Amino acid sequence: MKRSFILQAGCIVSLLITTSHVWAGDAADFSAAAETVPLFVQAAGADGSEDDAWEEENWENEWESTDTIADPLEPLNRFFFHFNDKLYYWVLKPVARVYAGFFAEELQISIRNFYDNLRAPARAVNCLLQGRVRDSSEEVVRFALNSTVGIIGLGDFARDVLDLHSSDEDFGQTLAHYGAGGLFYINWPFLGPSNFRDSLGMFGDAFVHPIILLDAGWEVTIGAWTLERVNYTALTLGDYELFTETALDPYAAVKDAYQQYRKGLIENQ
Amino acid sequence: MRKSMLQSIILLVVLLLTVSVFTIATGGSASATEKPMDQLQVAVDDILKILQSAELKGPEKKDERHQLVLNIVADMFDFREMARSSLGQSWNTLTPEEKDTFVGLFTTLVEQRYIGKIDSYNNQKVVYKKQLVKGDKAMVYTAIIDKDLEIPIVYRLEKNKGKWLINDLKIENVSLIVNYRRDFDSIIRKEQFAGLVEKISKQLEKPEASN
Repeated sequence: MKRSFILQAGCIVSLLITTSHVWAGDAADFSAAAETVPLFVQAAGADGSEDDAWEEENWENEWESTDTIADPLEPLNRFFFHFNDKLYYWVLKPVARVYAGFFAEELQISIRNFYDNLRAPARAVNCLLQGRVRDSSEEVVRFALNSTVGIIGLGDFARDVLDLHSSDEDFGQTLAHYGAGGLFYINWPFLGPSNFRDSLGMFGDAFVHPIILLDAGWEVTIGAWTLERVNYTALTLGDYELFTETALDPYAAVKDAYQQYRKGLIENQ
Repeated sequence: MRKSMLQSIILLVVLLLTVSVFTIATGGSASATEKPMDQLQVAVDDILKILQSAELKGPEKKDERHQLVLNIVADMFDFREMARSSLGQSWNTLTPEEKDTFVGLFTTLVEQRYIGKIDSYNNQKVVYKKQLVKGDKAMVYTAIIDKDLEIPIVYRLEKNKGKWLINDLKIENVSLIVNYRRDFDSIIRKEQFAGLVEKISKQLEKPEASN
C-alpha cells in the first residue's frame, strides 16, 4: 500500500518535471509572461521601499472592489449556510475540541502540511496553465522534497531549509486568469462558500489530487476529507465563531469575505 | 585662562546640542515627520507588552487587560471615519445624533471582533514588511506568523493632525470596512437604518463569543 503510493507519487513527479521542461522550452511567450510576475512580486516584496511607482498609482483604487457577486440561489444558499453552521456547532467543533485535546499543535500542523502537500500537483499544474513556469517547477521541487525528505509531506523542508514557498494556485484561479468571472455564489453543504467558477475549479483540481489518482475508495476519500476538516477546525477554533457572531447578517458577511479572499488570491496580492 | 574659557564654551555647545537632540528624539515622536510604520509598530508593541505581562495574566484580569488594550486601540484607529465609510451612502441621510450613536455602536462591534482574537494571543510574531506613503495617506504591510502560517495584514492609514490613524485593514485580503458595508447593506435594504441600529444593539448585548 505504502510502496505503491510512493511509486505513484514518483510517477507524478517525473511526469510533472518532464512537462514543465517541455513548456519551459517551447512556449517562449509563456515564459516571458511568467517572468514579469516574479519581477513584480520581487519589487513589491522586500526592503520597505516607498517608491514603487505602479503601486503608488494604483493602491487607492485597488483597495476596494466594487463588484458584488450575483446570488440567484440565495434561499437555497442560506438554507445550506444554516445547515453548515449547525454542523459546525453540533458536530465539527465538539469533535475538533476532543481531537485538539489528544493531538499536540505540532502534530496538527504536520497533518495540515501533509494535506497541503497533496495539493502540490494541482498547484504545479495550475501555475503552468497560467504561464508561471518558474513557480510551477518550484511546486514540483517542493512536492518531490517534502514527500521524501519532508516525510510524506508532514514537514515543510522545502520552505524551512531552501526557502521555496508555495504558490497558492488552483483551477478556479486559472479560469479567472483567462477571464472567467465567478458567475454566481454557491454555498455548498459540507464544503461551504464557493461560486460557479470555483466549483468547476474544485472539480478540475480533484483530477490531479493523489487520493483520487490512487483510485482510493470513496470511504477513504471521505475519511481523508473529514480528517482534514477536523484538523483544520482544531487549528482555527474560535475564528468562525468570532467572525459570525460579530456580523449582523453572517451569511452576507461570509459571502463577501469569500469574494474578497478569492479576489486577493486571483490577483496574487 | 583663555584655554579654559574655550573649553567651557565647547562644553556648553556640546551640552546644548545633546539637549536639543534629545528633545527632537523624544518630543518629536508625535511630530509630523514620523513614519506610519514606526508609529504602528510602537502601538502594536505596547499591546503585545500588555498581553505578555505576567501581572495581567489569568482570566480574573481579563477586564483590566481588555481596557488597557482598548485604550491603545482607541488612539490607533479613526473609528468615526471607519463608521462613515462602512455605511456608504446611508451616512449622509443621518442626523448628527444618529451619526454619533452609530459611531459608538460600530466601535464596540469592531472592538468585540478583535478583542476576541487578541485574547487568544499566544506569542505569535508580528513582521513589518513595508510601507507606502503618498501625502497624507499610507499603507503598511505586516504579517502575523500564527501556527507556522504567515497571515498578511495590510493597514490603510491617513494622517490627521500630525498623527497616523488606521481607517481600514485587510486580513488575508478581506477588508474590514468593505465586509461590514456589505453586511450592513444586507440589513439596511430590508430593515432600513433603524433596523440596523436595533440589530447591532442586540448583537452587543449577547455574551461574548466563546473561545
